[in-house]
Amino acid sequence: MKNKTIQKSGLGARASRRIGNTIIYIILTIITLVWLFPFFGIVMESFKVNVTGMDGELFPEKWGLDNYTRLFNDTDFLKWFLNTALMGVATAFFQTLFVLSMSYALSRLRFKARKPLMNLMLILGMFPGFLTMILIYKVFSEAGLTMQMAPVGLVIVYCASSGMGYYISKGFFDTIPKTLDEAARVDGATRMQVFYKVIMPLSGSIVIYTILMGFMAPWGDFMLASYIIHENSQGMSVAVGMYEWLSKTMLNTNYTMFCAAGVIVAIPVTAVFLGLQKYYVEGVTGGAVKG
Amino acid sequence: MKKIIALVLVLVMALGIVACAPATETPTPTTGGTTNTGSDLSGTYDITMWVSEIDGVAALTQEMIDAFEAANPGIVINAQIEGVTEADAGSKVVADVASAPDIYCFAQDQLARLVQAAALAAPGQKAQATIKANNDAGSVAAASVAGTIYAYPMTSDNGYYMYYDKSIISDEDAESLEKIIAACEANNVKFRYALENAWYTASFFFATGCKSNWSMNEAGEFTSVDDDFNSAAGLAAMKGMQKLAQSTCYDSNADIFTDAGVVITGIWNANAAADHFGENLGATDLPSFEVDGTSYHLGSYTGNKLMGVKPQTDAKKAAVLSQLAQFLTNEENQMKRYEKYQWGPSNKAAQASESVQANTSLAALAKQNEYGQPQGQIHGSWWDIAKVLGADAKAAADDAALQTALDNYTTAISGLFSMTEDQKNAWGVIGNICNTNWDTDFAMTDNGDGTYISEVLELKAGEEFKVRQGASWDVNFGVEFNGANIVVEADGKYQVKLTWDGAQTGTVELIPAE
Amino acid sequence: MRKLTDLEYLKLNKFQAFIYNLKRFFCAIPGWFLNLFLAIGRFFVKCGVAIKDEFVDIGTTFIKGNWAVKTSFLVFGFGNLFYGQIARGLLFLLFEIVFFGYMFVPSGGIYWLSKGHWFQAGATVGSVQGSFQYDAIYDTDVWVPGDDSVKVMLYGLLTIVFIIAFIYTWRLQVKQCRICMDITAQGKRIKSGKDDLKSLVDDQFHKTLLALPVVGILLFTVLPIIYMILVAFTSYDAAHDGYSNLFSWVGLKNFNELTDFGNGGLGLAFGEILSWTLMWSLFATFTNYFLGMFVAIMINKKGIKLKKFWRTALVMTIAIPQFVSLLYVSKLFDSSGIIGESLGSIPFIKNYLETNHYISLWDSPTVARALVIILNIWVGIPYVMLQATGILMNIPADLYESSRVDGASPFQQYVKITLPYMLFVTGPALLTSFVGNLNNFNVIYLLSSGNPINTQIGSAGGVSVGHTDLLITWLYKMALGSGESRYYTASVIGILIFVVCAVLSLIIYNVIPSTKNEEDYQ
Repeated sequence: MKNKTIQKSGLGARASRRIGNTIIYIILTIITLVWLFPFFGIVMESFKVNVTGMDGELFPEKWGLDNYTRLFNDTDFLKWFLNTALMGVATAFFQTLFVLSMSYALSRLRFKARKPLMNLMLILGMFPGFLTMILIYKVFSEAGLTMQMAPVGLVIVYCASSGMGYYISKGFFDTIPKTLDEAARVDGATRMQVFYKVIMPLSGSIVIYTILMGFMAPWGDFMLASYIIHENSQGMSVAVGMYEWLSKTMLNTNYTMFCAAGVIVAIPVTAVFLGLQKYYVEGVTGGAVKG
Repeated sequence: MKKIIALVLVLVMALGIVACAPATETPTPTTGGTTNTGSDLSGTYDITMWVSEIDGVAALTQEMIDAFEAANPGIVINAQIEGVTEADAGSKVVADVASAPDIYCFAQDQLARLVQAAALAAPGQKAQATIKANNDAGSVAAASVAGTIYAYPMTSDNGYYMYYDKSIISDEDAESLEKIIAACEANNVKFRYALENAWYTASFFFATGCKSNWSMNEAGEFTSVDDDFNSAAGLAAMKGMQKLAQSTCYDSNADIFTDAGVVITGIWNANAAADHFGENLGATDLPSFEVDGTSYHLGSYTGNKLMGVKPQTDAKKAAVLSQLAQFLTNEENQMKRYEKYQWGPSNKAAQASESVQANTSLAALAKQNEYGQPQGQIHGSWWDIAKVLGADAKAAADDAALQTALDNYTTAISGLFSMTEDQKNAWGVIGNICNTNWDTDFAMTDNGDGTYISEVLELKAGEEFKVRQGASWDVNFGVEFNGANIVVEADGKYQVKLTWDGAQTGTVELIPAE
Repeated sequence: MRKLTDLEYLKLNKFQAFIYNLKRFFCAIPGWFLNLFLAIGRFFVKCGVAIKDEFVDIGTTFIKGNWAVKTSFLVFGFGNLFYGQIARGLLFLLFEIVFFGYMFVPSGGIYWLSKGHWFQAGATVGSVQGSFQYDAIYDTDVWVPGDDSVKVMLYGLLTIVFIIAFIYTWRLQVKQCRICMDITAQGKRIKSGKDDLKSLVDDQFHKTLLALPVVGILLFTVLPIIYMILVAFTSYDAAHDGYSNLFSWVGLKNFNELTDFGNGGLGLAFGEILSWTLMWSLFATFTNYFLGMFVAIMINKKGIKLKKFWRTALVMTIAIPQFVSLLYVSKLFDSSGIIGESLGSIPFIKNYLETNHYISLWDSPTVARALVIILNIWVGIPYVMLQATGILMNIPADLYESSRVDGASPFQQYVKITLPYMLFVTGPALLTSFVGNLNNFNVIYLLSSGNPINTQIGSAGGVSVGHTDLLITWLYKMALGSGESRYYTASVIGILIFVVCAVLSLIIYNVIPSTKNEEDYQ
């Protein structure tokens, strides 16, 4: 009798687990569909031909690549795309440099100004960064870093204060055992050597994570960029250029082209992102654990 | 090693400051001498321009500039042309006047802000005369502040009218708002009318005879408003608006045509309208609505697009830019824009041409313009304040709520004028003088002995004026305290002098200058 | 309230324990404030003592110093040069020359400082107003530029920073001379420039690392923030942009406007927007947090296949620029959008919309607020899911094992193990995301632009107020939206956002234990 009961409950557990898993699969499938739906919609929108504005339909009545050909033949989109890509590369480089320096110093080194510096950055983070743009714009305008030169100016803006975003990578460095440093120090390595000979080789994922974040920044930024670019079509990033198409007078003719441009922008970013996703996940999770 | 880095930092910054300190420019404007626009203007000029962002406008403008160069040998213009939406080119210019483009196109509602921010160079005297002679009166008024023309009228088509589906709405029904609503509801199509945009909200108020006229001083600052939206007529307008706003067919997004039976919009959507309605396209003036047994024809703003020239420190370049702007807005080029984009010209000769007369959209606009009001100069914050009325009409459950909305509106408007004591005490001359229309206060100087005197004004016989304190009508003098307007008897240059006892006794005199 | 001993506490039943904890929490609140004020007091006392010590030290240095030390009171770096620190001494000297050069050249420091009329209410920033002059030859107006208030204030501010740096450097080099003197007196070797450089890659490596990032932060964050705080005391707006029209100092007028609940004041609007901002932030943070964790638990559950696929699908949303996806999503819920239209045809929703005369879901204040919170889940879950994944992997498996042996259900495991562990580890991250949501401009701006309009308030300061407006979108409307570009009001709002964030952070830091000591985790 006793045996039987155990067997029964064992079977029940397995069955209930199977039911549980099925429910989870169903939920996950629904979530996935919901999350991917807008992309699907945008892609569909981009294949619509001869549509005035938003027609409220999901699928195109008539399919075609008109939006894409217009994009490359009639607009400065390619120029904007190159601008943004270059900005992405430059931002990725400098931002990584800044963020890693800052987070490494705060994580591994101990000095008098460490706590005050962290507190200062915490406090600064509470001011809306947007406000700083008004002055920065004026200074850049004086220095000729707006309009055509806006990409340069924007890279400076994206990078200059990026040290304040040290949290995740500091969290990552915190997880690397300190005994490694101490061993290297005993062997006579300077602190700089410890940095690039011992710690850096272990930090591939956080480096790639930081690069990825830096590369993606210019693609999505709209507010700051439109302020600095100040309507110059030669200096525009994709976000700003595309946003112009949504103005009152352009919306009806350009909405589907806007979606097409969105698809084109999404391709490289998604590709890079998916390729490096592993590092992204490692970076985020490693860093987040230690907040 | 102590803070050497900090030291270097400061050094770098210091050098930066020295390097950044501006070279003191001392432009030397030539004064005196005779007016001579025939001065040699030849030379090479690098200019920047903002024109409409619509595909092809920039290229068309470049063609026009080439034509200008051909017509003026010796002048070479290297233009960098950007497409910027005219609706907010003005705000972009105001954000940074120093690096604004040399020539830019904008919708007229931004004129006051631009003048206030000294972002527009007034055309010279000769150009003023030409502009006035060649363009329709509405567009000249739209380009003027306190009697001075500040910009070059480019189009007279910035108004709105009705596009509708002829298969649903008969021509006769199209004259009544109620019938249109019924037809749209019956056919389950949308009536698109941007009531939450003050430019359109105002149409209901104009219909019932309300007004919102703003006065400015010569610096382009708004000093007062004569606004009676909060009145019995205003309440009728709210009720009319409520009819539409609470209908199931109403949609406040009039920038798109999806599912639309009726769209209240302007000429910029002519092509989209033709696409959407196809052969059923109808275009006509706005309908009438009925409240408490009275019928009101919807009003509208008639507006213009203008071309502006940024103030220059170099007189020669300023002269060239002025010439160029005049050229770009002359009859020939306005016609070119009309032919390509159907932009309705402001030039009188162009308006009279056959093809313009035959255009259906412009005909609808012209028909609506009979009920329209020139937009004049309006406080920049008014748009945000007045658009709330559209939202209110939709949300209101009863007439009391409509009244509350109007009360809130008045409060918000009066909140715009937080005057200093000095401004409240200051006197000004106001009238239909010096090309103004009871919307501009010409400042008077306090002599300190109970007399106040204006600058020298050029007055014409038959013009009327009064003097008032603090840009409000609480304390004013005409022929007596709060009395009739003073009428100018003979043309001439005068100073207006007020002798005032601080209460209700005072006299206003005209003192001939020189 | 008396603190119970452990033994006494264990004797309480569950309800009593709960009440006890609750009481303790609230009784502690006055204590925090007391501590806060005490801390502020201590801070000032400490500063006072430090300043006193500095002056005493400077005095003794002057009295006890030899002639080289005394000379360096006037000539920067003289002592360093005297004791053989050539490079360092020359740098100090150069700094002094540049400083005095900058201060006294025409249009140098003194010039900018004198133009500013600092904080004199009613006075303009800058003194010469630009104006038009008629040029008769070309029949045209010519612009004669005057001062630019923006520049006057900026250069004035930089000059003040420079002066502070000068005083600091003066103190620094005097101190160094004294140290050199003392070291020489003890017969030890003074560090050479070479030693300095060497230490930059070793003991002082943090200086090398931090130099660039810190300079960047100083120039691009600290300086602009100080500048914007100054702007809050001026009349800087579109009509007084500094270049065409000088702006002036107005004292506390802009702050008074915000606490003015009458006509023309911004008080009502501010109260309304602040309360929604806090509500939004709370909902946005916690919905994302718990749902994201939930999704992570599902994906990481043993026996679930295609883990990578599920994760990738969610993470894709991060890769696509928000201004494309959110704009599309916002249109989906419009009256003629695919989802908006189908939802609108459901009878009870249709009925609700019609009785209230709403056209689309976005017109209803309640629904619009709910929608932005729900759509924000779509934006936020992937991030939380990734974070949670990492943490879940770190929870020791034997905890679950032993609890399972004890017969705990999955739900009990979640409440007893997963949740406490997560909360403990992600406490600080939760705070950051709360503050982040407070300033979540993109989501609100792209989804609803702050609409629908709040008809109770209408507009304040010439800018209409919406039901979904956050403080940050309100600030944006003030500064760059339609109307008069009131930079001064925007600055005041910015300062208030800071105050709100700071107060909240202080409270949260005091409640969440894991934020207190970061060293504990290493």
